Amino acid sequence: SVQAHKEEDNPEKMMEVNGLSPVPHSYDYDLIVIGGGSGGLAAAKEAAKYEKKVMVLDFVTPTPQGSSWGLGGTCVNVGCIPKKLMHQAALLGQALQDSRKFGWQFTEEVKHNWMTMTESVQNYIGSLNWGYRVALRDTKVTYENAYGEFVGPHTIKATNKKGIEKLYTAERFIIATGERPRYLGIPGDKEYCISSDDLFSLPYCPGKTLVIGASYVALECAGFLAGLGLDVTVMVRSILLRGFDQDMANKIGEYMKEHGVSFIREFVPIKIEQVEEGAPGILKVTAKSTTGDQIIEGEYNTVLLAIGRDPCTRKIGLDKVGVNINEKTGKIPVNDEEQTNVPHIYAIGDILQGKLELTPVAIQAGRLLVRRLYAGAATKCDYVNVPTTVFTPLEYGACGYSEETAVEKFGEENIEVYHSHFWPLEWTVPSRDNNKCYAKIICNIQDNERVIGFHVLGPNAGEVTQGFAAAIKCGLTKEQLDNTIGIHPVCAEV
Amino acid sequence: RGYPEFVRTAQSYHGRPIFALFCGDKDAEGRSWCPDCVTAEPVVRKELHNLPDESVFIYCLVGDRAYWKDPNNEFRRSLKLTGVPTLLKYGTPQKLVEEECFKAELVRMLFTED
Repeated sequence: SVQAHKEEDNPEKMMEVNGLSPVPHSYDYDLIVIGGGSGGLAAAKEAAKYEKKVMVLDFVTPTPQGSSWGLGGTCVNVGCIPKKLMHQAALLGQALQDSRKFGWQFTEEVKHNWMTMTESVQNYIGSLNWGYRVALRDTKVTYENAYGEFVGPHTIKATNKKGIEKLYTAERFIIATGERPRYLGIPGDKEYCISSDDLFSLPYCPGKTLVIGASYVALECAGFLAGLGLDVTVMVRSILLRGFDQDMANKIGEYMKEHGVSFIREFVPIKIEQVEEGAPGILKVTAKSTTGDQIIEGEYNTVLLAIGRDPCTRKIGLDKVGVNINEKTGKIPVNDEEQTNVPHIYAIGDILQGKLELTPVAIQAGRLLVRRLYAGAATKCDYVNVPTTVFTPLEYGACGYSEETAVEKFGEENIEVYHSHFWPLEWTVPSRDNNKCYAKIICNIQDNERVIGFHVLGPNAGEVTQGFAAAIKCGLTKEQLDNTIGIHPVCAEV
Repeated sequence: RGYPEFVRTAQSYHGRPIFALFCGDKDAEGRSWCPDCVTAEPVVRKELHNLPDESVFIYCLVGDRAYWKDPNNEFRRSLKLTGVPTLLKYGTPQKLVEEECFKAELVRMLFTED
């Protein structure tokens, strides 16, 4: 049964008791944020700074395998944070191998324990979840672990895990519900496959794994699983890393192939069956070629789906309040002030149409939006020249245009590409690959040879890219780059 | 008082939720050398009625100031304590440190929410 929130009766009195300024039009809250992820929490905390009465609703619908997690959203719980930690675990494995060449002597064989790593990672995530709750409580942001949906223009229904419903009203809303992994829609997918939502808290070692997909999620996961010593195969329908510079994407694929990851190209799975139960069990995957009639089968302990993510916008009552969404993709179109077609409803983060799906972008968008709403600021979020990094075994950092997009936009004759292979000094002694690391910049000849694209493939690519991103934002030209003396001996000097 | 006694006591209550407040030792007049602990203790004690049924509250004196300042003391090493006072839910990453313990709201949240 529905229970009206008691504050609805006398909101102004409640406001004065709490020492906050009265909320207009007798709404319960100035702002309700739906979604407690990177964007949602940043926006809520920012609004609290301006003494607004804010509520955050965060709820994780468990995965088909039953996984769930605490406050903080995808990045903290099942995304960037655990991913980078496990990537690091894999890199350390490599470092141990290299160390022998640098003189370290150890006789025991080095093995990896999945449970030890997972427990440590989950423990850290738990401390982050708790930290967010303390931060919200400390800044007087009300947090409810409940699923929010619109039931009226200014009213949200929040349902907690026990099924209890409460109604809350607010003057404004920010939708920051993020995305969840997409399933294939073939027999056996939900029953037997796992996704990134399950991988980072998997209570058993995944064993021989088939990763389906060629997104950065697929390649990063395949990469660290192989780095931990597991037998990994990646099944790709067509190209790797769609949307990224394809020259770089292919180099990443080549490197992974040479380092223990098998690829099955131009096949799609059509059926997943269980051969043996267990943790992990044995699954049989049947796949069909995209170019012919060939059918192949394979057996794996674990099948990890990483074919894409879908926005959580279909079941939050947007139709009831008239917020437009792209029916095909579920994404929400917004203007350059993150406002939906309904003036008092805003949206930020991965669910936005045509914007980058990155944590720092969501955080920046959330903070600037709130400052515009409550602090009289006018700065809008700048989505151009946002740097990113893919944490595949050979890391890839990029900022600006890919080569293809630059050619398309400016014309091949108007751009100049400067590139170089490099051999990290640290790789020389252990005799690691001497022609795999690579860097290139794309310049616009017509604009003073301005650097419009930066790409680097090598260790610590993320760290290297960040500084160049700032330079690009300042309008870096090739000449300025040439005039900058390098630091030696580091990869970034190339 | 002291690390071994804390561990023994915690183990004897295995299976029940355990909350623990760590403070610096008290002198003959009952005052701790740690000023933040002096401030935090009454706040925490006032919230004890909010502890869930079946749970246990352990009040633990960590030692004198010199012991505490040693970066290798057992509390720092094994329990990963970084400061006193620390109020925590044993076996979980949930804890409140130093000034956080002064806030009744946060203490209540630690005791009552999951």
